[in-house]
Amino acid sequence: MKNKPNDLILQTVTTMISFIIILFSIHLFFAGHYTPGGGFIGGLMTAAALVLLLLAYDIKTLNTILPFNFRMMTAAGLLIAVLTGAGALLFNQPFLTHAYDYFELPLLGETSLHTAVLFDIGVYLVVIGVTMTIIQTIGESE
Amino acid sequence: MPFQILLNFFLAFLWMFLSSSFSVSSFIIGYFLGIVVIFAMRRFFQSRLYLFRIWAIIKLTLLFTYELIKANIEVLVIVLRPKMNLEPGIFKYETKLEHGWEVTLLSLLITLTPGTLVVDVSDDNGTLYIHALNASDIKGNVTSIREGFEKAIMEVSR
Repeated sequence: MKNKPNDLILQTVTTMISFIIILFSIHLFFAGHYTPGGGFIGGLMTAAALVLLLLAYDIKTLNTILPFNFRMMTAAGLLIAVLTGAGALLFNQPFLTHAYDYFELPLLGETSLHTAVLFDIGVYLVVIGVTMTIIQTIGESE
Repeated sequence: MPFQILLNFFLAFLWMFLSSSFSVSSFIIGYFLGIVVIFAMRRFFQSRLYLFRIWAIIKLTLLFTYELIKANIEVLVIVLRPKMNLEPGIFKYETKLEHGWEVTLLSLLITLTPGTLVVDVSDDNGTLYIHALNASDIKGNVTSIREGFEKAIMEVSR
């Protein structure tokens, strides 16, 4: 006789909704250059989807679904951001100078690629890593 | 059923390559032609044609919209009545649906139509405990759910 309630409705809805939230967070991440959004809010939104999964299931399940080490993710994000800033030094530009250019890509046509996206990816990873580390360490300390 | 949708997408892509114009309009034309081909060849497939299932989903959506409007007007009448002679209560509802997502969909539809509210699901997903505003007519509640939403959901997942 388990005293565990049946979370069928919550779990089914969470599995559907989390995909939508993660897709929306990716959209926010890429919208950040011209419209509101960016790396920080995108990372927070992705972390919110993971927290929703944590609420519906538990920490063990999330670790089997997404076997990421979130501390390493934070470190990798910081490394990406610093390397993007240091890349400008190779071209005799001051630190954190960003460059952009227009490229002809197959299927997409003329697209502008900007190195600020790489910096934003670093921010995105740092935000996810820090948020998930905080929540998991609070959750695991019984 | 997923195979039919994949085949339809494949035929649409094939149409794009045959007409060598990669645009949304040619994809849509190819998709419609693929629907025609799949409908003509429908006796080859083991399962039902997926168009019927889409039609069942549309019917379920329309039924839900109608029930939502009707039930909200009923609740408005209850709220505006000077003397509320309600008999709230919780009754059991044995569902015939098997999959988890079907039970979830049924309970969400029951909850979103005012007057009834799913309180709990039993551990074997076979019984819903429903709180009703007017529990005096339990049999009427059960048959209305069974004839309405459950039948429509079964149409979708058959």
